[in-house]
Amino acid sequence: MREWRERVGSRSFILFSILGPLTVLTVLYMLFAYGGKTATKWNVLITDPAGLFEDKIMAKMDSNIRYSFADNYIEIEEFANGNRFQNFDAMVEINEKVLSNKSGFVFYRQIPSKNLEKRVQYQIERRLEEILVKRFTDLSLVDFKKIKQPLNLSFRNVYDPHDQAQDKRAWVGLFFGLVIFIFIALFAMGLMRSISREKSNRIVEVLLGSVRPIQLMFGKILGIGMAALLQFSIWLVAITIGLTLMRNTLFPDYLSAHLNNRIQLVEEVQNPHQFDKQFTDFEYNEFVDLVFERVQFGPMITAFLLCLLGGYLFYSSLFAAVGASVGSESDGQQFVIPLILLLCFGVYAGYFALANPQAPLTTWCYYLPITSPAVVLVKLAQGFNPGEMYSLLLVGLISLVSSILMLWISGRIYKNGILQFGHRLKLRHFFKWTKNV
Amino acid sequence: MLEISKLTKSYGHQFALKDVSFSLKEGEIFGLLGPNGAGKSTLIRIVNQIIEQNSGWIKYNNDLFKREHLKNIGYLPEERGLYRGMTVEEHGIFLGRLRGMSVKESKEALKYYLERFEIGEWRKKRIEELSKGMAQKIQFIFTVLHQPKLIILDEPFSGFDPLNVELIKKEIQSLKAQGRTILLSTHNMTSVEEICDRAVLLHKGEILLEGEVSELRNEYKTGHYVVRFTGNMIGFVNALWSGFQIIDTREFGNNRFEADLALVGDSSIDTLMSVLIGHVKVEAIYEKLPGMQEVFIQAIETAQKAVENEK
Repeated sequence: MREWRERVGSRSFILFSILGPLTVLTVLYMLFAYGGKTATKWNVLITDPAGLFEDKIMAKMDSNIRYSFADNYIEIEEFANGNRFQNFDAMVEINEKVLSNKSGFVFYRQIPSKNLEKRVQYQIERRLEEILVKRFTDLSLVDFKKIKQPLNLSFRNVYDPHDQAQDKRAWVGLFFGLVIFIFIALFAMGLMRSISREKSNRIVEVLLGSVRPIQLMFGKILGIGMAALLQFSIWLVAITIGLTLMRNTLFPDYLSAHLNNRIQLVEEVQNPHQFDKQFTDFEYNEFVDLVFERVQFGPMITAFLLCLLGGYLFYSSLFAAVGASVGSESDGQQFVIPLILLLCFGVYAGYFALANPQAPLTTWCYYLPITSPAVVLVKLAQGFNPGEMYSLLLVGLISLVSSILMLWISGRIYKNGILQFGHRLKLRHFFKWTKNV
Repeated sequence: MLEISKLTKSYGHQFALKDVSFSLKEGEIFGLLGPNGAGKSTLIRIVNQIIEQNSGWIKYNNDLFKREHLKNIGYLPEERGLYRGMTVEEHGIFLGRLRGMSVKESKEALKYYLERFEIGEWRKKRIEELSKGMAQKIQFIFTVLHQPKLIILDEPFSGFDPLNVELIKKEIQSLKAQGRTILLSTHNMTSVEEICDRAVLLHKGEILLEGEVSELRNEYKTGHYVVRFTGNMIGFVNALWSGFQIIDTREFGNNRFEADLALVGDSSIDTLMSVLIGHVKVEAIYEKLPGMQEVFIQAIETAQKAVENEK
C-alpha cells in the first residue's frame, strides 16, 4: 500500500495521467483531421462473365467512381499483378449466382474509405435490383424494393484475398503492445529504482525484521502494478471520453443510422440530391474509420489487460532482481541496458508479426514470454479464428508459468542479494544468489 | 527468554558463526561484543529471521523460534534508514502496522514516545527535514513503538552526540526497568560497563568470552592498584621502597597525581598506606579493574596469539 500511495501521490504520476491521454488524443485528432485521406476517385472493374449487368450500372454518373466492364473471368492474382489492370483500383466480381445468393466480392488495392465502400455497395445493389425486377417479377421497382433483400458485398484486399494481414487493425494491436511495453518500462524501472533506493538507504533491513523478503518484493511489485493499472484506467476513461466527444462534435458518423438498415438507406437516397448529400458532405478518413469502426475495443482491452499483467509480472521480477542485487544505487546500469533491449525486442517482435504474420519467428515470438504481450495483441487485432483459441490459452499458460518461475527466481536473488552491500554487480552474482546462500 | 544453541552459519567455506550458544534472561541487558566481522550482525539477522542458519536452533520462551515471534522483537539495525519523503507520523504508522498495530495504537504510541523524548513538534515533519541525530532518535522510537518484549539494538549510539548517548542509555535502562530484555551490540565499551548485566564476546564467529560484565572484568584484572594523592611526585617516589613498582603516573594539576602500582613480593595495601603517610596526602587507593575495552583487546590478542602459536 505504501508503494502504491507513494507512486499515485507523486507528481510524475499525475503528470503522466494528464499528459498521456492528452498526447494520444492530440495524435488521434491530427490523424483524423489531416492524415490518411484516401483517394476519393475510384476506377472499378466489374467482371461479369454472364453479362448480367449488360455493361450498365447507374443512370446517374457518379463523379467519383468510374466503372468498366469485363465479360470474362479474371483471376485475382492476374488482377493484382497484371500490367493491364494496374489502372484499376478495385475489381467487383459478379457471377450468375449473385442473383440467388446476393453476395459478391470487391477486391481492392488500397483499403477504400467507408464513403467509397457505401457508394459501390449502393450502386451495385441498385443495378442488381433492376436486373432482378426485369428478369423475375412483374412488380414495379418501387414495390420490389419493399420486399428485397440487401446485397452482401465483401471487400477484400486483392493482395490478401483471404483477409489474413488486416494491416490497419494490426497496427492498432501494435499500438496497444507498444503501450504495454511503455507501461512496463516506466513502472518496472520505477520498481527497480525503489528497491535499490531502499537497499542503499538501509530501510530494507528494518522492513525485513517484520516481513519476508519475498513478501516485500511481491508487495512492491503488486503495489506498483496497481498504480500502473490505475494509470491505465485513467488513460482509458480520458481517451474514451475524448474519442466520444470527437465523434459527436468533430467527426460525426453520418452513416451510422443507415448502416443498421440498408432498406432505409435505399429509400432515403432515392432522391439524387439526398444521395449526393449523403455521400459527399462528409469526407471519410481511414483513421476515423479504423478507430471508430474497425477496432473491437472490448476484446482488445481485455487482451491488453491480460498481456499487461503477464508482461509486467515477468519483466518486473527481472527488474526487481537487478534492483536487489546492486552494490550501490549507481551500480547495475550495465544490467538495465540488456533489459531495455529486451523490451525493445518485444516491441520489434510486434512489428515483425505485423509484417510477417505467417513467419515461423512470429510463431515463436507469439509464445515467448518476453515478446508475447505485443505479438498476441497484433495477432488478435489481425483476427482470430475460434479454432485457434487453444493457442491463445497456451500463450496465457506459458505466460503465467514463466511469470511464476521468474518471480520465484527473482525472489531468491532478492532474498540473497538485498543485504549484500558495497560490491560491484557482476553476472555471477545472479547465479550465486539464485542458490541458497 | 531467548536461547541460542549451536548456531552455525557459513558463506561458502567461510564461517560467519560456528557453534555459537548463549541465552538471554528476561529483563536483562545483554552485550553482544566483538570486532568488525566477528559475526554479530549475522547472528542478529538470524534471530530476526532475515537469513537462515546452516544448523543450530533458537528458542523463544522455550518454543522453537517462529516468524510469529518476530512481533515481540524490536530491531534497530546498524545500517538503518527511513523513507525520506514520509512524515514522522506516517512512517510510525507504516512501521507500526507492519508489526501488527492498528493506526490508532501506532499514533498513540508515537505520541507517547515523542513527548517522552520532548520532540512532539516533529510529528508532522518529513524525515528529510530531520538532521542525522534527529533521525537516529526517531529510529530508536520506531524500534520500541510496538512495545516489544525483546529489543535488539545494533550500535544504537552511533551518530549520537554525548548528550544523546546518555539519553539513549537512560531509555535503555528504563526499558529494562519495565521488564524488557535487551540485546545490545556495540563497540562503545563504556556503555557496556555501565548498562550491561552480561555480555558475550565473539571473535571470528566463535564465542571467546561469556559472563557477567563484572566477572569478566575481574577475570582480566592485573593486580595493579591506583593511588590518588596530593603532594610532591618526588616525595611519593622516595616513599616507595622495592616492594612497589610504579607502572604509570598521571598529573591533574594543583599537585594532584594518580599512580598505578604493582605490589612486589610480600608487600600489601597496608604496607603501602604506612609508607606513604607523612610524604603525600592520600585521597584514594583502590584495586584497578580493567575496563571492558581492555578486556576486549586482551581477549582478542590472546586468541590471535594462540592461533599464531598453533601455526
